[in-house]
Amino acid sequence: MEILVNLDVMMAKRKISATELAQRIDITPANLSILKNNKAKAIRFSTLMALCHELQCQPGDILEFVDDEE
Amino acid sequence: MNWNEDKSISLSQGCVCAFALLLAGLDGFGYWLLQLFAQMKGREPGWGLAFYIALLLGSVFGWLALGKLWGLLKSIKAGQVFTAENIRRMRVVSWCCGAAGLVCLGAGLLYLPCLVCAMAAGFMALIVRIVKNAFQQAMLMKDELDYTV
Repeated sequence: MEILVNLDVMMAKRKISATELAQRIDITPANLSILKNNKAKAIRFSTLMALCHELQCQPGDILEFVDDEE
Repeated sequence: MNWNEDKSISLSQGCVCAFALLLAGLDGFGYWLLQLFAQMKGREPGWGLAFYIALLLGSVFGWLALGKLWGLLKSIKAGQVFTAENIRRMRVVSWCCGAAGLVCLGAGLLYLPCLVCAMAAGFMALIVRIVKNAFQQAMLMKDELDYTV
């Protein structure tokens, strides 16, 4: 049971690089990499809001709940 | 006086050095001092030697604890506070206090006031253990915070 971050999929759809996205939402490329590689333990609403704003998507487009038990 | 965090850590390091000197003095001159004390108090022959052996045994744990405290302070000075290594150091210090307390308990058979030292060492072990538990929780919280984007 986990939450997957499909940021790379959305970034590919919007044709935006990690460096550019990090600059636009004002976080470090290292932190964006943590998020993109599913290493993050939590995400702030402010970060999620900035991501949705820049990528023009909904939180559900970035986050996905995966239930291993099924 | 311009007091800051660095000076506070330096003071703690100075105290560790002072205790190390005191311990070295006890190790070096302990036998002589104990013989003198035994003569003054009219203790039976061999009492000084038995007490000195207990003192040396206790000093092993003392050196170990001082070494770990020195490492802990160096790590804190470097800005690495809530780390697994520091928690391990604190655990060792706590066990050293407990072990030294047990040695003091045994030494209480030779000299009754050592029981007070045993109690103090046991209490110190408990305090260090509780601080270690707090550090453990802090490390988990820091870990979570570090991976919050």
